[in-house]
Amino acid sequence: MKVKRVTAGVLAALFAAMSVTGCGSSDAQTSTEGASAEETGTEAAETDTAAAESSEGEPVTLQFWNVFTGSDGDILRTIVDNYNKTNTDNITIEMDIMPNDTLQQKLPAAIATQTAPDLVLFGVENLAPYVSNDSLEDISDFWDVTGVDKDNFLENVTELSYVDGKLYGTPMQYNVSYLYWNKDLFEAAGLDPDTPPATMDELAEYAEKLTDPSKNQYGLAMPTNATYMQFLWANGGDADDPDTNTNLLDSEENLKTLEWMQDLAVNKKVTPANVTGSDADAMLQAGQIAMYMSGPWQINGLREQGINFGIAPCVAGSAGSFSPAGGCSYVIPKGTDEVKKQAAYKFMQYWLTDEVLKEWSQKNGFPVWSKSLAQDAEIQNDEVLNSISKATEIGRAYNLGYSLASQIDNDVMIPMFENVLTGAKSPEDALKEASAAMDNVLAQ
Amino acid sequence: MSKTSIQKKKKYKPQQQKSAYLFILPSMLILTVFIFIPLFASLVISLLDMNIFMKDISFVGLLNFVRAFQDSRVHNATLNTFYFAVLEVPLQVGIALLLSIYVAKDNKYTRALRSVYYLPFVCSMTAVGIVWSMLLDPNLGMLPYLLRCIGIESISFLKDPNLAMPTIIVVSAWKGFGYTLTLITAAVLNVPSSLYEAAEMDGANTWQKFIHITIPGIWPTVSFCIVTTTISALQMFDQAYVMTQGGPLNRTETLVQYIYDRGFQTAPYDLGYASAISVYLFAIIAVITFILRRFILEKGE
Repeated sequence: MKVKRVTAGVLAALFAAMSVTGCGSSDAQTSTEGASAEETGTEAAETDTAAAESSEGEPVTLQFWNVFTGSDGDILRTIVDNYNKTNTDNITIEMDIMPNDTLQQKLPAAIATQTAPDLVLFGVENLAPYVSNDSLEDISDFWDVTGVDKDNFLENVTELSYVDGKLYGTPMQYNVSYLYWNKDLFEAAGLDPDTPPATMDELAEYAEKLTDPSKNQYGLAMPTNATYMQFLWANGGDADDPDTNTNLLDSEENLKTLEWMQDLAVNKKVTPANVTGSDADAMLQAGQIAMYMSGPWQINGLREQGINFGIAPCVAGSAGSFSPAGGCSYVIPKGTDEVKKQAAYKFMQYWLTDEVLKEWSQKNGFPVWSKSLAQDAEIQNDEVLNSISKATEIGRAYNLGYSLASQIDNDVMIPMFENVLTGAKSPEDALKEASAAMDNVLAQ
Repeated sequence: MSKTSIQKKKKYKPQQQKSAYLFILPSMLILTVFIFIPLFASLVISLLDMNIFMKDISFVGLLNFVRAFQDSRVHNATLNTFYFAVLEVPLQVGIALLLSIYVAKDNKYTRALRSVYYLPFVCSMTAVGIVWSMLLDPNLGMLPYLLRCIGIESISFLKDPNLAMPTIIVVSAWKGFGYTLTLITAAVLNVPSSLYEAAEMDGANTWQKFIHITIPGIWPTVSFCIVTTTISALQMFDQAYVMTQGGPLNRTETLVQYIYDRGFQTAPYDLGYASAISVYLFAIIAVITFILRRFILEKGE
């Protein structure tokens, strides 16, 4: 009897506890958030009393969402933590990292229901759809309000954050695709390890020499879930003209490029069949791939795996050499109140100081786009950053700022390249089909 | 005395019913919020031109459906969905039926086996999918390596356009058959042993006993399994999303995946169009379930 009562009592207590945690989870969360904010507040006070004394304004907490799930996210967190400790404006930034898919699912709904974060960091290719749905704050007054000198930054970088002449974000990083090559594999194949291919013909020639199926080694990785604008552009072709909504796919130049790609992938088998980008990343780091075109985010992984690699500009065709540009920007969702918006400006301003940009570029191997930072002695002597700056000069915007960009990629370009690279369709058929699909998308 | 007790009884009954409603209230609330409201909402949204930003919403009537019927990727996804369901359901139920002959005896050994078979069902599909795609990876995976050791050259199970769907079907059947097996085994154990004894006296062998006694005895359970696995097969998503992302060449893209892609992955995040395709899928599932129930249940009776 006694035992039963005790058990009943325990159970009742348990249920009570469960129901409290169940219903009150949101309250509990806010209170811990408050506690952590206080903690960092006291920490800041301890580390820098002068700073704490001079911070006059009301404490502001910014919710900050971003998509930096890789090792670069750790570096970003260090920078943000450091900002939380040292800023004199009583600003606390709470960072939430999530995969891009998740962010793109949550953010629009959050903005529509007024529960959006105050600061978001994502790829500039996402700007246009948000702007066309009036979901981001127009921050054209950023340069005037903060006094940051816009002219200190490369124009092709800042312009990525503009849509129809209005500023919707401040640049965070800039990148283009590079040609990575494995110097050890070059040497083993009898090629000069310090001379990467400069033209498409050389690329094809080297790729064939570097392919050895018996060792599971491939000359040039070409994932099937990617686009290859660098090759289309190199031969003078293009996909579309976003300014005039014109379909430019169906051209002799593009056909030539696609034939060249199919020959490499299907006949000469220089790429592992049907790989995704992340498969190719893993194989590059395992030393199974000799050449690969990808962004700066490969650098840290390759360093960690001890791969002896080089970085070169994308190869040239008959029309020159180009590389698709991209980048990330800080944006402020629509509906953010004025106080938080000003606090977000302060953090954006902090990011644009040479000190932070230098830390970011050195630790991550991202190109430098601040003119004053480019004069820095350490930056000028950084071997990786030097080879990158040459490769960065050929950056070219591909549908950035165009609201149909992601649909063109997913419905037209990626299926076309996949058909060509897997040999599922002849280049003519793949191009014809893609051109029809492009007409469909552009008609919207 | 007796009068009051009757009164008490009368009073007691409606109260008991009230508390019964109280007990189903939580599930009712959950069902309403997560099933009924979304179901009704998707019917309405399918008639609208609406994206995920929920701005500038306009009524477009059946335009989304017209678009869906002309979209080759909808046709492709419909075929893939049927391809999956038509092979996965018989495979899963078949494996469970065959194995049930051996494990439907109540001893330690078969109980252990049943738990082992049930294990994959308990695991999350995402985890299972990741593990299988690593095992099957042509460059890093164990299975292709073992095949290479016995002289079979690089089969890329999930990356070959013709092999990807069959591979997903096998993995799904492997994951799901434990549940079906548990249900069927319980039913088999419920078949009266006197029937088997009588059959043995008439000289029936194991196979004859299985066909003429076990199958009719467990038919209601089997038909239940067929209907539920068919419904979940038609809604297949996680497997392909984790293992192939619908590729290669959209050969494993099912309807639910295409719905997800239109609504949440590809700008302009066309919720209206995605809802139209989900209403179309809803109709397919409703019709097939109706036919299956009529056909299989009648056959059973």
